[in-house]
Amino acid sequence: MDMSNFNTAEQAHMQKVIETKQMQDFMKLYSGLVERCFTSCCNDFTSKSLSSKEDTCVMNCTDKFLKHSERVGTRFAEHNAEMMGAAQAKR
Amino acid sequence: MSFLGLGGGSGGQHGSSQINSQAIDVAVAELDMITDIFNRVVSSCHTKCINQRYMEGDLLKGESVCIDRCVSKFFEVNKKVGERMQQMGGASQAAGGAG
Repeated sequence: MDMSNFNTAEQAHMQKVIETKQMQDFMKLYSGLVERCFTSCCNDFTSKSLSSKEDTCVMNCTDKFLKHSERVGTRFAEHNAEMMGAAQAKR
Repeated sequence: MSFLGLGGGSGGQHGSSQINSQAIDVAVAELDMITDIFNRVVSSCHTKCINQRYMEGDLLKGESVCIDRCVSKFFEVNKKVGERMQQMGGASQAAGGAG
C-alpha cells in the first residue's frame, strides 16, 4: 500500500483510518482468542471454576497463539513485500 | 528592462488540504483485503500447525517451521488462484464476445 503519492491531509486521514481499524482488529483478536482457548481447553463442566489444568492450558493457549500470530506476521510481511514488489514491477 | 515571469510559475501545487476520496477508497479497500488475508492465514496455519493440547506456552521447533512453510504455501495458492481466475475471467469474456 503505497501512500507516498498522498498529500498531508490524505495521509492524516489514512492514519486515523488505520488506527480505528487496528483497534477493531485488536478487539476481534481478543474475543477470537478467548473463544479459541475456551473451546480447546475447557471441556469438563463438573465444576464452576477452572481447574489448574485448564488454567495452565488457557495460559499456554494464549501465549502460543500470540507467538504464532507474531511469527505469521513476520513471514507475511516478507511475502507481502515480494508480492507488492512484483505488482509494482508489472506496472 | 527585464520582466519577471508572470503566470505559469510553480506549475500547479499539490493541494495540501484536498482529499482525493477515490484514492482514499482504493487504499482503504487494499488495507481491508490485506487485513482479511492476514487473519485467514493466522487462523488456517494455527489449525494446521499448532498442537491443540497446549502443553507449553512457547512454539515448538516443528511448529515454527510449519508456520513458515504454511505462510509460504498460502501465498503461492493465493497467487495461483488469482492467475486462474484471471484466465477464466478472460476466457468467459472471449466466449461472451464470440457468442
